Amino acid sequence: MDSPFIKKFREFAARKRLRLFLLLLALLLSGYTLYLDLTVRAQFEGKRWSLPARVYARPLELYPGMKLRPEQLTTELAMLDYRDAGEPQDPGSYRRQNDEFTIMTRPFVFWDGAQPALQLRADFDGNHLRSLSDIKNDKSVTLARLDPVLIGGIYPAHNEDRVLVRLNEIPHDLINGLIAVEDRKFYSHHGIDPRGIARALVTTLRGGGVQGGSTLTQQLVKNFFLTPERTLRRKFTEMIMALLLEMHYSKGEILEAYANEIYLGQDGNRAIHGFGLASHFYFDKPLSRLDLPQAALLVALVRGPSYYDPRHHPERALARRNLVLQEMRDQQYVTQAQYAAARSTPLGVVEKAPEGTSLYPAFVELVHRQLRRDYHEEDLRSEGLKIFTTLDPEVQLAAEHALTTRLTQLEKARRLPPHSLEGAIVVTNTQSGEVQALVGGRDTRYEGFNRALDAQRPVGSLIKPAIYLTALERPDSYTLATLLDDSPLVWHVQGANDWEPRNYDKTFHGQVPLRTALANSYNVSTARLGLSLGVQNVIDNVHRLGVDSDLTPYASSLLGADSLSPMEVTQMYETLASGGFHVPLRAIREVLTAEGQPLQHFPLSVQQVVEPAPAYLVTSALQDVVREGTARGLDKYFSEDLHIAGKTGTTNDLRDSWFAGYTGDRLGVVWVGRDDNQPTNMTGASGAMTVWGAMMARLDPEPLVPPEPENIEQVSIDPATGLRADENCPGAVVLPFIRGSAPTETAPCAAPSPARSIKSWFQRLLE
Amino acid sequence: MTTRWLTGILLLMLALLSGCAGLAPAPEQPVSDNSAVLTLVSAARADIADGKSDAAVASLERALRIEPRNPALWQELAKLRLQQGQYQQAEGLAARSNGWAGNNKSLRAENWRIIGQARLKHGDYPGAQAAFDKAAELAN
Repeated sequence: MDSPFIKKFREFAARKRLRLFLLLLALLLSGYTLYLDLTVRAQFEGKRWSLPARVYARPLELYPGMKLRPEQLTTELAMLDYRDAGEPQDPGSYRRQNDEFTIMTRPFVFWDGAQPALQLRADFDGNHLRSLSDIKNDKSVTLARLDPVLIGGIYPAHNEDRVLVRLNEIPHDLINGLIAVEDRKFYSHHGIDPRGIARALVTTLRGGGVQGGSTLTQQLVKNFFLTPERTLRRKFTEMIMALLLEMHYSKGEILEAYANEIYLGQDGNRAIHGFGLASHFYFDKPLSRLDLPQAALLVALVRGPSYYDPRHHPERALARRNLVLQEMRDQQYVTQAQYAAARSTPLGVVEKAPEGTSLYPAFVELVHRQLRRDYHEEDLRSEGLKIFTTLDPEVQLAAEHALTTRLTQLEKARRLPPHSLEGAIVVTNTQSGEVQALVGGRDTRYEGFNRALDAQRPVGSLIKPAIYLTALERPDSYTLATLLDDSPLVWHVQGANDWEPRNYDKTFHGQVPLRTALANSYNVSTARLGLSLGVQNVIDNVHRLGVDSDLTPYASSLLGADSLSPMEVTQMYETLASGGFHVPLRAIREVLTAEGQPLQHFPLSVQQVVEPAPAYLVTSALQDVVREGTARGLDKYFSEDLHIAGKTGTTNDLRDSWFAGYTGDRLGVVWVGRDDNQPTNMTGASGAMTVWGAMMARLDPEPLVPPEPENIEQVSIDPATGLRADENCPGAVVLPFIRGSAPTETAPCAAPSPARSIKSWFQRLLE
Repeated sequence: MTTRWLTGILLLMLALLSGCAGLAPAPEQPVSDNSAVLTLVSAARADIADGKSDAAVASLERALRIEPRNPALWQELAKLRLQQGQYQQAEGLAARSNGWAGNNKSLRAENWRIIGQARLKHGDYPGAQAAFDKAAELAN
């Protein structure tokens, strides 16, 4: 028998053990909690705050008197997802009645300040915007901008496949739908919803499987750890983690993380996470542009992305979406009318998931490369910079359309295997050097090989204007009328094979005027001209025109044996198109911080590298190429009054087909060829030039009327002799000359005016 | 040799003085008849007065996008670049303005003065002299 003392002692010891046990348990639990806390916070922080740079197209400027077709405005509004509404009230809606538009613009922060939402009325008169006014205060508006089209992002490297969004970019309908369907008490609970858990627990204990009752916070935690394990222990861990998350972060932060994390679909072996990417995956547009039924569909997918997959099970998806809409109406997030309208809307999912999230990946890549010169890669991918670019969606669409449709037509017409041809296009503004469009291949959404930037191909005759410029810069020796020798040529080089250039038509043309040799792209006379000017002098001029790549100092360089990218060719022709100014090609106008503060402006820069007069003569000769030379086929697309300047380029065995041409407002360079470098059976004129024509014809080009430099004079010339002509000479042409360089001698056909013939007699005597 | 240089510099000073005299009271013709362009130009001028030259450049470039062949706009940008000390840009832009200036002699004379001053600032004295000569020739 134990004494009461011992009994007491035992009781005490037992209690102590219990307390010790409890203490240990508490310690263990808090240690575990601490561990969970660290884990979940690391997950949360790791996935947050990495905001990609946003890339925008140029905003469409509106001002009275501007050249703009109503259809252009409609296209722009459609790209911006403006709703065609009967009574435009909300920003982002419009109405068109014949030639009158009513537009509620979205507010937007531009480089030079914010533009609030405006209610604009725009009246058209044919191809011009006649008047622009602010409806609210009934005042005319001198200048307004639409918000720019979002064309892509520069994404974090480790999260390449995500389109991270900020809370304020998520449509209200989507947030409301989520809360209505997934977690009604989201804004009031502390991470878990006890009633929901009780309900779930009962189901579980009855053997109905672990399910339901998860708050958005719990769902977020579940998404952090991607194993589908469904045990009570896991459920318990999730609850603790959810509580911890709520202690550390605000509801907004949690919602934002949820929106970027939630699993919403599968594309082969690529998981679709986050509403931002899902929006592109299902609707091919940015999240901020979704309407109510589209937002409701994304909410519907949360519960089971494969079961409700709108592409494979459209009926289930539709029913679930309508259930979401119904809940939203019942909880008064939307009105009965909104509900009814949304309910009757089709799913609106694009048939095929787009390849990438950028509409114009080739252009965005150019932007990215230009940015890398000034910014750290890390900042571009994480600081949420806003990049305002020079892309003109209308020009881009015209370029893409022309390339894809023409290549298919060319393959059919020339019996080439389908999809064997490839191509690239660069379009710029001739005055500012702004890149308005860039196409890197016929699959325009493909984010891989960018032919416009990286395809190095022999340029063929595209190099010739540099030779003619070198000649025309020596007005004492060469003018447009100078006769060149197009008879057989053999060039001996020690230690190498003789070089015997041939003409494309396999004949020789004797004495030909300089401008005709360029217009018809005669190889022999051009090569002879280049050799007499000096290969190195010509190459120096190619560099002066803006080409940075090295060229080989061989005679074959004169006929374009060297390879350049379409972008480099564009830089070279930009100098000719701008009248002799080196204008660096730019894809970016401005960079803003995520908060909308101006960070950097990429200025227009011009430097005169060629005197105005010789530049003018080269353009005049390139206009002859289109008027009567190898590019005369463009008359199928344009009226002669446009005076387009251009040059065709064809390489050995018809492997590459090039065309570079400019109008009064745009320069376009087109390359067509095959990736495997096999022959295409096309010349520059039959391939690339037709793409150029189809593209520019859609863009209503301005006529090319370069300003005449003061030291240029126009003189009538007899082409056969290259001497002065008058009205008696059949086929005489008026040509520009640098003052003092025109022939003084009169052609035999011209009536000898006494004074002139005496003058020329004296001259002959003196020579 | 030294005396030749000195005379040259004196000559330049004179040319510069005449150039400066010409720059200030340029006869105020409207830069454009397009009200959008005018709005942007006055915004740019206001920004210059406020010392916000980056914003002014952006506004003038925006105006040039609307009227790329307006020599007065190119000149406006050239003057701003000269003021900012970007001499090479000032010279290029003034030359660009010359290209579109046609028979507008006073505009062209002004462009040559800008070119002259820009060349002077980066030490190209003979080039500056030639530009001022051109300006004087056009002003007559």
